[in-house]
Amino acid sequence: MSRFRHEGDVVVVDLPAGEQEMLSQVLSDLRDLLIKGGDDTLRRLKPPAHLDSSEAEASYRELVDDDLLCSRLEAIELVESTVEGAELDAGGTAAWMQSLNSLRLVLGEQLALTGVDLVNHKMPDTASAALYEWTGWLLEQLIDAASQAHDL
Amino acid sequence: MTAPVMVPETEVAGSVDYARPWKVIVWDDPINLMSYVAFVFQKLFGYSKEKAHRLMMEVHIDGKAVVSSGTREKAEFDVFRLHEHGLWATMEKDE
Repeated sequence: MSRFRHEGDVVVVDLPAGEQEMLSQVLSDLRDLLIKGGDDTLRRLKPPAHLDSSEAEASYRELVDDDLLCSRLEAIELVESTVEGAELDAGGTAAWMQSLNSLRLVLGEQLALTGVDLVNHKMPDTASAALYEWTGWLLEQLIDAASQAHDL
Repeated sequence: MTAPVMVPETEVAGSVDYARPWKVIVWDDPINLMSYVAFVFQKLFGYSKEKAHRLMMEVHIDGKAVVSSGTREKAEFDVFRLHEHGLWATMEKDE
């Protein structure tokens, strides 16, 4: 059964208890990782904006890094407060998408997945790989529900 | 969070307007779901479903696509919003 469905212009979150607990746990781990910073697995969450100027890149990082971190932490907080069930408006949906995608980017980095692995569905048999597949499955359903609810 | 902003298609027609000095490029990342990338383009730039899908396919097949252009400040803001959503975006001066 789908974990997200649209009802009018909202997206209804409906996760089984076990999945609520799992998602809360991995988001708590992600928050710790984000606050601690510096971990290589966060690489995809802070891609460079300027490829041709280290000076411009340094200035961009100084300008946005705090805001990027705050935005991710706020999104995680919103998911945690609605994980047991909620009706999401466009802002709530965006926070869920941002958090699920952040998890995938970190897990993908941990698993060192390449485009070839993904095309061939060559996933290792690990808990991280199962989490990666699960968060992707949730995100697909959320996109589907949100496209209908928010008329995109 | 940024609310969806619908922009008339005429205002965004053509990825590169030569009067606009900076362009924003999104690069392919195999981790990001194709449906997610298209959704983000629709949401952030107000692009139609068709245009968002076309740009997403360009990223997927060619490895990158120019998704917006404008002043340096606008490009920086767009790159920030794309980064916020986990997409790999860069900006460069449009020569």
